[in-house]
Amino acid sequence: MINIDNLAVEFGGVRPIHNLTVDLTDTIVGVVGPNGAGKTTLLNVFSGFVIPVSGSVKAFGQDLLAMPAHRRAQWGLRRTFQTEQVVEDLSVWDNVVVMLDTVRLSGRERREQVQAALNLAGLAGSEARFGQDLNAYERRRVEIARAIVGQPRIVLMDEPGAGLSQAESEELQAIIKAIPDHYNAMVVLIDHDVSLIAATCTSTAVLDFGSLITHGPTGEVLRDERVKAAYLGKGEVL
Amino acid sequence: MTSRSLNSDSTTQGESMTRWPVTVASLRSMAGVAIPLILVAIILPGLLSAFWLRALTSSAIFALAAAGVALLYGRLGLVSLAQVALLGVGAWVALRLSHGTDLPFELVLLGGGIVTGLVGLIVGLPALRMRGLYLALITLMAAGGFQVIVGGTGFPDGGSGFLGRVTSASARLLMERPFVAQSDEAYFRYVLVVVAAGFLLVEIHRRTRPGRAWALIRKSEACALSAGVNVTLYQTWAFTLAGFLAGIAGGLLAGSVGQLDGRNFPASSSILLFALTVVGGVYSWLGPAITGLLYRAFPSLLIAWNIDGNLAFIVFGAALLHALITAPAGIAGQLGDVGRWLSSRIGRRGGTR
Amino acid sequence: MPNLSPFFVTGLAVGAIYALSGVGLVVLYRASGVLNFAYGAIGAVGALLAWQLLQYELPETLAWLAGIGLATLLSLGYGRMVAPHLAYRDTVVKAVATLGFALVLLGFSRWYWSDDPRQFAIPTDTIGVSMLGVRVTVTRMIAFSMTLLITIGVALFLTRTRLGLLMRALANNRDLSALLGIQVLQVETWAWFISGVLAGISGLMLSDLVRLDAIVLTFMVIPAMAAAVVGRLRSLWGTMIGGLLIGVLEAVATPFQVISPYRSVAPFVVAIIVILWLQRRRVITFAGGT
Repeated sequence: MINIDNLAVEFGGVRPIHNLTVDLTDTIVGVVGPNGAGKTTLLNVFSGFVIPVSGSVKAFGQDLLAMPAHRRAQWGLRRTFQTEQVVEDLSVWDNVVVMLDTVRLSGRERREQVQAALNLAGLAGSEARFGQDLNAYERRRVEIARAIVGQPRIVLMDEPGAGLSQAESEELQAIIKAIPDHYNAMVVLIDHDVSLIAATCTSTAVLDFGSLITHGPTGEVLRDERVKAAYLGKGEVL
Repeated sequence: MTSRSLNSDSTTQGESMTRWPVTVASLRSMAGVAIPLILVAIILPGLLSAFWLRALTSSAIFALAAAGVALLYGRLGLVSLAQVALLGVGAWVALRLSHGTDLPFELVLLGGGIVTGLVGLIVGLPALRMRGLYLALITLMAAGGFQVIVGGTGFPDGGSGFLGRVTSASARLLMERPFVAQSDEAYFRYVLVVVAAGFLLVEIHRRTRPGRAWALIRKSEACALSAGVNVTLYQTWAFTLAGFLAGIAGGLLAGSVGQLDGRNFPASSSILLFALTVVGGVYSWLGPAITGLLYRAFPSLLIAWNIDGNLAFIVFGAALLHALITAPAGIAGQLGDVGRWLSSRIGRRGGTR
Repeated sequence: MPNLSPFFVTGLAVGAIYALSGVGLVVLYRASGVLNFAYGAIGAVGALLAWQLLQYELPETLAWLAGIGLATLLSLGYGRMVAPHLAYRDTVVKAVATLGFALVLLGFSRWYWSDDPRQFAIPTDTIGVSMLGVRVTVTRMIAFSMTLLITIGVALFLTRTRLGLLMRALANNRDLSALLGIQVLQVETWAWFISGVLAGISGLMLSDLVRLDAIVLTFMVIPAMAAAVVGRLRSLWGTMIGGLLIGVLEAVATPFQVISPYRSVAPFVVAIIVILWLQRRRVITFAGGT
């Protein structure tokens, strides 16, 4: 569970997020909104790449903003990116095992955890392949494996479904839904694919212009008139 | 990429990098490097004239310095245009320690390496956290600054006081060589051993946790942070290591030529070394070795053939442009491609894996 | 305490040219993403050509124009023939490539014109005025006022003309500009042109004020870049102030025996202080970011 209180971000005279207060309590939560609504900025605040000018973020009781960025990953905050960040000259295995470099584990435990993550992400058998030899969907899955390996507490996903085919999108849904069961972790999912959000997220928050429009069970939120107006008002069709 | 040909760790699923991979494949690749090196060390000195022995000793020394540059650029995408200046710092410290104390050669080298590592770190640290361009700028200016400073202070040559200069030219001392390596031939072998140890140090880093952290940082700082990598720490570590290698190289150079002139460390040397490191290749150990040869042996060749050394600048500048545009893995990468093609041919005839 | 005024004047003149060079660097960097390490070398070749033509007894104005012209051609040549191959690489790679160009030019200059000492003089060197008790040569006044005028001119160009607007758009967001239909290559070519002209002028002036030597002129790129750093690679006025500051600091250190041999460290010192100041607020960049 993530408690966001009065969060505000400002740079260069722009306020990508202002007065954001919301409690995300379900195991899989969606964050949606038109382009520029502040969704990725919110994730960047969680990750520590952007420092807010005010407000607080608590995750499972832990004050997230007080931790330096690299410590949050060690604590259990994990993330996938809009532009995938798979390292070309490391193997799939190394791309994932790096997440456990700072954790004290025996060799066997480390191997088991990495293997488990790769299996869930559908990459069993690809361990030795190098990042540069993977296609886009495989890279996406390496990112996911990275995000879930070990003991994640919160998994942030920034548009994991972008550019996927129907079949791949359904596989992705299955992976996302399996995360809380396998890992006892919370998932926060940003995406433009409404069917993905509807299929996986129990509740959803909607942002526009940096503040919260509404938050609640996904079905209700997606039918809410204000949400439709936020999208249609920009010329996008929901 | 050539990094693959040395990390043949696709042996067992999951064995790869969780501990120092002393697998059969990596032992074989190490032997593939060590054996020719030992042969070179034993046979070559007897075959060469004094001029060429000195040139090759110098090449090995600058190969070590280049290894530091290659580490920073190839692993982390950081541009250091001050490596020859740092080599000068290492030489200065080594000379001062050697003339001023009774420490054995090895400790003098080490002292030079450590101090240089720290100096490099201090110079680079402010810029490390900014855009890569600023690091290139700062190191270039540091090289320019060093040129000015060492032009004024010169190198220690047996005198007392901080700067260690003697007043009359006849009283200038040469740096003492290690007990086991007094002659030029013996010193050449000594240098090869030290340089090989330096290369090994880099390899060990590459294959273990620092290597992975660096690969992530090169991808993007955000990627590294989200993997729990303390970016500043690992950049600092790399920069200090590169400075350390430059310092050791400096000490070796001082031992090789005995006396150094403060006018021989212009900023253009550091730029040239960087350019040649890119040309030689930054992704494997072979690249810095080629760089050392280009930096020192090629100009010696021009001297031997009575060709104006400035033409080397033109060739090297063009080579850098070519390397950046068409061959990012440098000469070593292209050689590596040829090598892999050859070994795949040989392997097909029943070689064991 | 020795009389610093004559050194102050010298420093302002040389510093003005550092600033001018810095402006040329910044304009090019903002429009094309290339921080041109070969800037000084380009100026050096131009100045050497001008000197050569003067040796052949060509009229002075012609020689100077030829020098500036060659510098402009070199800049344009690199910008049109080499830079486009690296257009999609990150700024560090683009900058490193200019190092290669600098090496080529430096090697050529030293090979064609050997290391013999040369002098470059402008007629206004000997004409001077007395200002506030110090003798100021007309050359130095020209250097200072020219820099001021050119910087104002460039600033006006960027803000008031259409081409200037296009350059600022490019500096802001290159890909978006391309999408909007802006002819990126054309606008960039103008940036290389302006940068080349300024490099040529700087080369000539520095040959007169400092020394006509290929290496010295090539590495004048260091104080120029330090000036650009003061302007955060962005602001023309910051660059100008930076250049003047560095020039003055270098010059007024001259009469102090102890630090005088080391006064060329001034650009480094200024740049490091500025960078320390700038990096207090960390900003994370993704791979390939500027």
